[in-house]
Amino acid sequence: MKKTLVVTMAALVLLSTNAFAHTALMSCFDEGDGTITCEGGFSDGSSASGVEFRVEQNGKVILKTKMNEYSEVNFKKPAGAYQAIFNAGEGHTVYVDGNDIVE
Amino acid sequence: MKRVYLAITMSLLLSSSTFAHFQMLYTPESALEKGATIELREVFTHPFADEHTMDMGKQHDSEENNPVEAFYVINKGKKKDLLNTLQTITWTGSHNTAAAYKSQYKAKRMGDHLFILQPAPYYEAGEDIYIQQITKMVVNVAGAPTDWDTELGLKAEIVPLTKPYSIWTGSTFTGIVKGNGKPVPFAEIEVEYLNRDVNLDTNATGPSYIEAPQDSFVTMGIKADANGQFTFGLPRAGWWGFCALGAGSDKEYKGKELSQDAMIWVQVKDMQ
Repeated sequence: MKKTLVVTMAALVLLSTNAFAHTALMSCFDEGDGTITCEGGFSDGSSASGVEFRVEQNGKVILKTKMNEYSEVNFKKPAGAYQAIFNAGEGHTVYVDGNDIVE
Repeated sequence: MKRVYLAITMSLLLSSSTFAHFQMLYTPESALEKGATIELREVFTHPFADEHTMDMGKQHDSEENNPVEAFYVINKGKKKDLLNTLQTITWTGSHNTAAAYKSQYKAKRMGDHLFILQPAPYYEAGEDIYIQQITKMVVNVAGAPTDWDTELGLKAEIVPLTKPYSIWTGSTFTGIVKGNGKPVPFAEIEVEYLNRDVNLDTNATGPSYIEAPQDSFVTMGIKADANGQFTFGLPRAGWWGFCALGAGSDKEYKGKELSQDAMIWVQVKDMQ
């Protein structure tokens, strides 16, 4: 029983590794018009359309939306420090600090 | 006897300078972590030996060099014309100076930025022919692949099967030589390593990193297979150029023979 469980778990781990062999990616830039654009994607070139996207400030979510059909989100630049988060599931979350988002 | 030596030396010089012309489309880094404004240099040279730099667009019937015919970039399928970003400069090679260009480009968006440079045919007096090298180079932002393998149906084109910006030292690059979208069987390809630093401030190339053990290592000649496909192992980090000779459909320019070549640049990184 124990052996079967271990084998099943190992198979599950292997399967999940295969299914998510790609890496989640996000790149953001300041549009220079008071807004920020973040683009999401994956290392295998697949679309990020519909993937959850959040903006957080001091640990609080100030924007929660989904990447559009072009795998992008455009939002008003928050005043002060913030983080843009691309959440494609466990192990596939990308954080970009607002300080690193420039024109 | 002295005259014979001189004649032999001259013919050797001529033969080494007429072959292995490579249209460079240089930028320091092809795999960017995030969007940035990048520097580009467009120079017609010999990247390994740097024995002669050519005036881009040189004509046989005019003192004026013809301007670049096309220069554009494609990102996520969108084409942007870059012709008006080109500024003429004088390039200083190891042995001479020549007319070249510099430009800047804002690689803002994520993904591949696929550059195409189509210079005017260049008159090569040594062979009394024209050479036009349609040149491809890819810069990637943040790792997402988008356009690198797009086939553009150019008159002369190398379509990569390996991402040109994502190659470890010791691995390989594979591409297909095409002319007007059709594979060129057994295409003749010249391969050269950019064997020197490129100084963007002074618009000059530096001294050689390495010396070739023999002339056949300066410009390596390989051939594509029956389907126009080739693979080449890359033993050293840096930029490598692949030039498929005469792959293009245009065979004549101003009444003279034209070699319309397909050029692609790939950048190799050490595993460290």
